[in-house]
Amino acid sequence: MPNDTAIFAGGPRIDPATAESTLGWMLKPEGLCRDDTCVLVPDRDALVSDGGVDVRVLGELLDRPVAVDDASGTTAVGAPRGARRSALQELRAPDFSLPDLDGTWHSLSDHRTKKRLLVAFSSW
Amino acid sequence: MTYPVLLDADHVVTELYAISNVPTVVLIDADDTIVQPNWNAYATDTFKDFTGVDSGRQLDAIRTWVRDGTPLVDEDTAREAVGDLTPDEEQAKLLWRIALHHRDAGDDDAAARCWDRAAELAPHDWTIRRAMLPLRGRDPFGDEFFTLAAEFQQAGRPYHGISDR
Repeated sequence: MPNDTAIFAGGPRIDPATAESTLGWMLKPEGLCRDDTCVLVPDRDALVSDGGVDVRVLGELLDRPVAVDDASGTTAVGAPRGARRSALQELRAPDFSLPDLDGTWHSLSDHRTKKRLLVAFSSW
Repeated sequence: MTYPVLLDADHVVTELYAISNVPTVVLIDADDTIVQPNWNAYATDTFKDFTGVDSGRQLDAIRTWVRDGTPLVDEDTAREAVGDLTPDEEQAKLLWRIALHHRDAGDDDAAARCWDRAAELAPHDWTIRRAMLPLRGRDPFGDEFFTLAAEFQQAGRPYHGISDR
């Protein structure tokens, strides 16, 4: 899924390597880091215990919504709230990537420099 | 003229743009500025008897924007129109995704559990309550549809965006 979202079937606690490979954030001495950005981690014990990263705490630190199906442990991480709020408040269209019927992926940004009409409809 | 038709099974765009019903149309300028946020606009009058919306007027407004850049609403109106998702709506959209994950794995009971929770949290979000009906083998134009429509009407037709209804 090329968009900045994730689902973890194994529960709200995942191994640090999975956190890095799926969400791109690595726990370093200076905090949670991705590229040149680091977020301070005030309570490392809350974030990591028994070698597992608690996705719920990760979500709080990164301002990402997290939902957990308690019965199965399946956990979903949503897109950064900032991207959505910026779309709503600053009127900046967040980019996304989705497949067409043939499985070819397209991004909104593929059509930058043109006016775009985004239509959300369904086959319900 | 061609345009891509994309599938959003995980409802990524509904989360990013706070979309709660369809059709929802967004007009985006060449520099990524949203000039018309979530808008309940139609390409035809197929649903006019049900919605009361005149698609011709909406299409004319879109054509005018395409031709000369005239926005449909002023910037302040555009900024205020959508309103952010509530925490419950956020949860509901993620639970949709988990339900779909369970369904794809063949666990219909788990999917039903998550869809039920999502519907409780966002009872007027059509991208959840209406969209789940066919995926659960239910009639999308059956009693549940009319129940949802009645509840939606009674709640004042809540919509994250500009509704012409």
